[in-house]
Amino acid sequence: MLPTGIHPTCYAHEARVLITPRSRVWLAILIAGLLAFPLAAGPYMLGVFTHMFITLMAVYGLYVTVGMAGQINVAQSAFVGVGAFATAKLSEYGLPFYLVIPAAAVITGTVSILFALPAARVKGFYLALTTLAAQVVFPIVILALPMSWLGGLVGMSVSPISIGSLTLSAPIHFYYFTLAFVALLTVAVFNLKRSRFGRALLAVRDNDVVAEVMGIPVFKMKVLAFFVGSLFAGVAGACLAYFLQFVTVTSFTLFASVWYLGMLIVGGVHSPVGAILGVVFITLVQESLHDIANSLMQSGASGGVLFALTSVALGGCILIALIFEPRGLAHRWQVLRTAFQLWPFPRN
Amino acid sequence: MTSFLQIVIEGTLVGLVYGLVAISFVVIYRASRIVNLAQGEILVFGALFLWTFTLGAEHLGYQVPLVLSIALTMVACILFGMMLERFVFRPLISQPAFAIFMASIALLILLRGAGQLIWTAETRSFPVILPEGGFNVGPFLINTRLLLGGLFTLLLAFGLHHFFTRTRQGLRLAAVAEDHHIAQSLGVSVRQAIAVAWILGTVVATCAAVVLLSGRIISLEVAHIGLKALPVALLGGLESIRGAPLAGILIGLGEALAMAYLDPLTNGATSGILPYAVMIGVLLIRPQGLFGWKKIERL
Repeated sequence: MLPTGIHPTCYAHEARVLITPRSRVWLAILIAGLLAFPLAAGPYMLGVFTHMFITLMAVYGLYVTVGMAGQINVAQSAFVGVGAFATAKLSEYGLPFYLVIPAAAVITGTVSILFALPAARVKGFYLALTTLAAQVVFPIVILALPMSWLGGLVGMSVSPISIGSLTLSAPIHFYYFTLAFVALLTVAVFNLKRSRFGRALLAVRDNDVVAEVMGIPVFKMKVLAFFVGSLFAGVAGACLAYFLQFVTVTSFTLFASVWYLGMLIVGGVHSPVGAILGVVFITLVQESLHDIANSLMQSGASGGVLFALTSVALGGCILIALIFEPRGLAHRWQVLRTAFQLWPFPRN
Repeated sequence: MTSFLQIVIEGTLVGLVYGLVAISFVVIYRASRIVNLAQGEILVFGALFLWTFTLGAEHLGYQVPLVLSIALTMVACILFGMMLERFVFRPLISQPAFAIFMASIALLILLRGAGQLIWTAETRSFPVILPEGGFNVGPFLINTRLLLGGLFTLLLAFGLHHFFTRTRQGLRLAAVAEDHHIAQSLGVSVRQAIAVAWILGTVVATCAAVVLLSGRIISLEVAHIGLKALPVALLGGLESIRGAPLAGILIGLGEALAMAYLDPLTNGATSGILPYAVMIGVLLIRPQGLFGWKKIERL
């Protein structure tokens, strides 16, 4: 709901993402804060944030496929992996990053189409099963291909990015590099919802029969939903490959895919704000569990306790979100925001 | 030729184990229309229960007779299944299929983490419940454990098929799977049906764990069998209990043959990919599987 005194006079005004002047000020503060963040933070925090940005890119992609088009995708991590391996392979040929990243995104999108094709025959969770197949098959294929192609069991190293005379190596470089990309993708994902294509996806999600009757090519839209979602995954994979400077197949598991989905669900599937809130929230939980697990390990607990704790926490978070707040944190955020905007008038 | 037939026999027997796991998918689906991706984790939990009541109790100094520990395991399984129903799936009744699918995925990582916290990730040996070793029939060697397991699978498939199609209770479950609202309005308890589904699912999964693991090594990685049995359940048809062993045999055979003849050429990938390639093929060509119910949808 809008605060008093804001009266849209044309459609363009109503369709704006940031309607009130105050929201633009808040956004400016957020951007300034993110730009100034490295002044206050150590390398560890910068690493955490870089990771968070990369995760956010992948979750944006998932938002397009799952949230907008309503097609479940449990292979986002495999698609990120495809992007990462494509980056590693292309950078081996000495291509610059501004060619490698779009190429990696397109390669990832093309691979995803392969697994979206059954959408012609099946829908709902059956379609989710084909993505599950993609996730399970991905490591098998990478490991079976000859070592010289994609590194096999060992993995591949990625040659670092150089812009002019600067070679990206310090955490602060990667922070700004990924921040730039995540900003670009944020603008893209917020605008996607307002485009013709985005509205078509929403129609397919809400009722595919009606969408077909209205003249939307449902099958094509479903395939495109996977394609676009995987473009995001490809960019995330490329950034991850450059950031870690090494890719192995073990980083792209079914668990990582579930993590991405979990973040989206906890945040709220139906808005890009949900993707942001979910990623930030789960990263916070993960970091605090890090400390708990460290202190547990010092008191003699066994190794994988951190993985176990985070799994339990994330699984619990998803279940709680599904049972008690299926609209996710984004809805809570919206309620809070409305109350703030309407104050001192009561809500409703 | 001998080696070919030996491969066929082994593939068939392993396939029947897949079929048994697939049955645990099917019973849950038949009674509640939930495809539980966490079935592999539930199998591991069943196995760990049994370990706790046999070797685990032995470590603590209690000598529990095998019959009693199996009974205790079954009780634990039933309680576990009821708990899953009560705290996860009952609150989600009447939610969209997406939420239920996601809940099963959340359960997958929750159980994986919980298993690691409770039992730690170390590998341990599983008690010997079925006889070890094998016997010779002519030139062929047959694994006793898998043969008994296979026979059990077939018996169980026919028993459950009878239950679901010939008994009043079983037909009620089918009604719930068809449509929750209509079933409820006809006086069938949806809650009870889902509880029965989960109890059956956990018990069958534990039986599968016994066949699969008896006398072998148990670790959390065993849960992978759940993802392998999913293509089997789809190939057989998610509604078809008798289809599961047959589909299991087909996939097991295909896998064994691929392992023997194609893997050397493809660096070991074919047998791993085969079940999933079959799954995508099934979804493309015949989404209801070999014996599943064909759903007629408008448009």
